[in-house]
Amino acid sequence: MSDNTQRIEQFRAEVADMKLRDPATGLDRLLVKLGVVGMVAGPCFGVAAWFISHSTRNPLQQRDAIVVGLLGLTFAVVGAALFVKGAMAGFLRFWMARLCYEQQVQADRIAGSLAAANGQDGRRDRHAVRQVRPG
Amino acid sequence: MTGDRYEPDQGCDAPPAETPVVELRGVRAAYGTIEVLHGVDLALRTGEVLAVLGPNGAGKTTMLEVVAGLHPLSGGDVFVAGRRVNGAAASDLARTGLCLIPEGRGVFPNLTVRENLRMASHGRRSTADIEGAAYARFPRLGERRRQLAGTMSGGEQQMLALARGLATDPAVLVLDELSMGLAPLVVEELYAQVSSLARTGISVLVVEQFARVVLGVADRAAIMLHGCVVDVGTPHEIESKLSSAYLGG
Repeated sequence: MSDNTQRIEQFRAEVADMKLRDPATGLDRLLVKLGVVGMVAGPCFGVAAWFISHSTRNPLQQRDAIVVGLLGLTFAVVGAALFVKGAMAGFLRFWMARLCYEQQVQADRIAGSLAAANGQDGRRDRHAVRQVRPG
Repeated sequence: MTGDRYEPDQGCDAPPAETPVVELRGVRAAYGTIEVLHGVDLALRTGEVLAVLGPNGAGKTTMLEVVAGLHPLSGGDVFVAGRRVNGAAASDLARTGLCLIPEGRGVFPNLTVRENLRMASHGRRSTADIEGAAYARFPRLGERRRQLAGTMSGGEQQMLALARGLATDPAVLVLDELSMGLAPLVVEELYAQVSSLARTGISVLVVEQFARVVLGVADRAAIMLHGCVVDVGTPHEIESKLSSAYLGG
């Protein structure tokens, strides 16, 4: 046991230093929430920009409205990307696990069939040997 | 941080007891509204093999998932190396050296043996070092290093799972039903490896349905029934109580 004492001490030290994260405040969830906020805020900025540009004849203010509109578009696109990424992450994890499982089942099935076929061949070979063996 | 520490009860004259490397205190866990662990108390000491035995549906796998941070607690506390780790991410626990080898094989069937081992090489050890150690411990894996893991026998896949776990340089090894679907000789071979690992100081928490082989290598054993640990003792003591526990006699 003595040769691993150092590892155990290291383990204790690492556990002591480990940062405990509350799963409820995970980064994934935060990003999904930010994404939703972005998707809501984007169109709001767009509508606001439309009202700003139509409430004035001053070209400078209208250009400001264009900037606000573009910001809204950016928020909406980035928000949608964050939302899709966050929402897909969980789905893809399960998808990968399922893919691994199905490949394992498929490999088992092929290995089983090969083993069965080899068994039959073996029996057939033994039978053939018995047939040609001189009486 | 002090509040997170587990301080074992000690009398004035008692020798200082070593903090268990993993300890569960009144652990409760549920799937939705159905509670499956009803206050589990268990302690794994440094460098020991602790076998948890029990019939199907006793909650053994759920308990291991709780230890590994894969299943949330609904009550109680989990201490690892004396620190309360309720809510710790499984990845963080794994990084420190708590390694779960799950029920079934847990290997990537579409990757070769070598690639599976490489998947476990993060940080501390080089790939060559990991492969060398794995092939030295399990020569059969060395012979099949270029073979797809999914096409190997169940025993070889379990060896690969164990080798991959060891590649992470674990301090605590948590094994779930190592013997599942394997021939008795293979199971004995695997448990011989577990026993030799424990002699190097790795603490092993192993859950099994089939008691015979695991009791041969365990330092202590526990019986789990209906989501509770009902008995803990030496393998000899537990062996004598097993049939009545399983059959409810």
